[in-house]
Amino acid sequence: MGEKLRIWTAVKHGLDVNLTRADRTTGLVRVESAPRKTSDFDKNAVEEAVRVRERLGGVVTAISVGGPAAREALREAIAIGADEAILVTGDRWAEWDTRAVARLLAAATRKLGGFDLFLLGEGSTDHFAGLVGPRLAGELRCAGIAYARRLTAAAEGVVVEKDLEKEVEVVRAAYPVVVSVGQEINTPRIPTFMANLKASKKEVRVLGPPDLDVPAEALAPVVVVERVAVPEIPRKQQTIAGTTPDEIAARLRDALRGEGVLP
Amino acid sequence: MSDERLLCVSEEPEVAVALVRLARSLTGPGTGRVVAVVLPGSAPDAAERLAAAGADEVRPVDGPALTDPHVVADLLAEIVAAVSPSVLLVGSTKRGREAAGHLAGVLDLPATTGVTGLRLDADGIRVDREALSGNAVAVERIVRRPAIVAMMPGFSAPPAAPSPSPGRVRQPPRATAPLTERTELRPKAGGQLEIEKADRIVTIGRGLRKKEDLPIVEALARALGAEVGCTRPLAAEAGWLTDDHWIGLTGHRVHPALYVAVGVSGAVQHLVGMRSSRVVVAINKDPNAPIFAQADYRITGDLYQIVPALTKALGG
Repeated sequence: MGEKLRIWTAVKHGLDVNLTRADRTTGLVRVESAPRKTSDFDKNAVEEAVRVRERLGGVVTAISVGGPAAREALREAIAIGADEAILVTGDRWAEWDTRAVARLLAAATRKLGGFDLFLLGEGSTDHFAGLVGPRLAGELRCAGIAYARRLTAAAEGVVVEKDLEKEVEVVRAAYPVVVSVGQEINTPRIPTFMANLKASKKEVRVLGPPDLDVPAEALAPVVVVERVAVPEIPRKQQTIAGTTPDEIAARLRDALRGEGVLP
Repeated sequence: MSDERLLCVSEEPEVAVALVRLARSLTGPGTGRVVAVVLPGSAPDAAERLAAAGADEVRPVDGPALTDPHVVADLLAEIVAAVSPSVLLVGSTKRGREAAGHLAGVLDLPATTGVTGLRLDADGIRVDREALSGNAVAVERIVRRPAIVAMMPGFSAPPAAPSPSPGRVRQPPRATAPLTERTELRPKAGGQLEIEKADRIVTIGRGLRKKEDLPIVEALARALGAEVGCTRPLAAEAGWLTDDHWIGLTGHRVHPALYVAVGVSGAVQHLVGMRSSRVVVAINKDPNAPIFAQADYRITGDLYQIVPALTKALGG
């Protein structure tokens, strides 16, 4: 690292999966008009970035790749404590796939002087491919650690507890390093009213692919989403009621007996 | 049936075999070529098992087990250059997704993860994958080959079709310097419960007011012969139960005959973990809780009254 720790954190303004509805007849989700919000895991990444700065000093740069509404995700990152905000956007942002996003993030870090620690969510709430962090590390040929459940940062590098399916792996890396975090790593703070107010006044630096020397053809999608559908699982939706808890319990027991699912 | 080369690799032996069976069914018997990488540290019979599943060629890699994704990506990049596959199939495990992403970044390849179905069409590779936190299925078309496709462990794999004369090519290890260093590997705390295999599950959510109240739910689980599951906040935030109880997008996916959701609101990220259950019971005091839309039997009421009554009714 140089004099100041350079911490970057990426935030996605993705679909709000709890508010996304499928068309009743076709089962298809209209992705273009669905409500959006900051992806959950990315808030953990911003929180972790701010905690590292609080301990070691440095500057936290929040970056989002997306449409104009992604300013909202950046505002939230600033409210949590990020120092500066960058929006990478362009006419065709809606078709940018994980490859395009990783390329733009890589190009932005190159253009703006590099980083020591790059934190982002292990996956986005809507797409959950888990690819952008590892892709970014691969693209930059730098160290990458995914699925971080605990991070200890020092002046020269990080120690990360990596959450695997059945094990915890402790991994060490020198800067620069890209770390993708899971939700176990922290509980993001709820910004105060004043922090929110200040964040809404913060200037966002807006950059397009030409500013980052990325030609349009390098961003042409290689993975195209053709349709998104919610499979219907029929449920009986039978209400069990009664005048006392014992009566309700007996009715449920009988129903489950009828289903043949009791031991 | 197509004359394509498919390359398969996974650190999970069962997944590796399933990938080879899938690859074989995509090329058809006697056409195309299925190549399977045997990672260092695999079981002695790994190469034989992959050949029996349908690999035309196995490539055992010498050397110590690989953990650094940069080193794994570098090795796979060399194998991709040697085999020139149209698709590299990996497992959508945490290590699999991480390696897939690194390699995709290094070689600038298309990649997708969480895939449950794969078709090699003339106008591209089509995959079915989980979307919207697992509650929707997206169809994606990959427009360029080679591509990296990470298959969900447990995807339904076609039967094995052994190749008549499988070949064996030794893959020398690479001298790439790792960028990360493993200092420790330990099993997860708790971690011994295999809730995916449970036939009955009682899951507790934030409706439970304090950790000391857990026995109320555990008594019901005993009466039902069920395992205890929980939602994310109880495992990841409160730590009342260990991760092996956690059901949801980043926890475990379960498919029991009976699923009893107690004080569970039903966030989308939880629903993905339980939607394959056969019979679902929901007990919640909020009549508008989203879990009720996914339930066969709905009880609106206080879990502190209903659960003990139910335990008693079941003879617990």
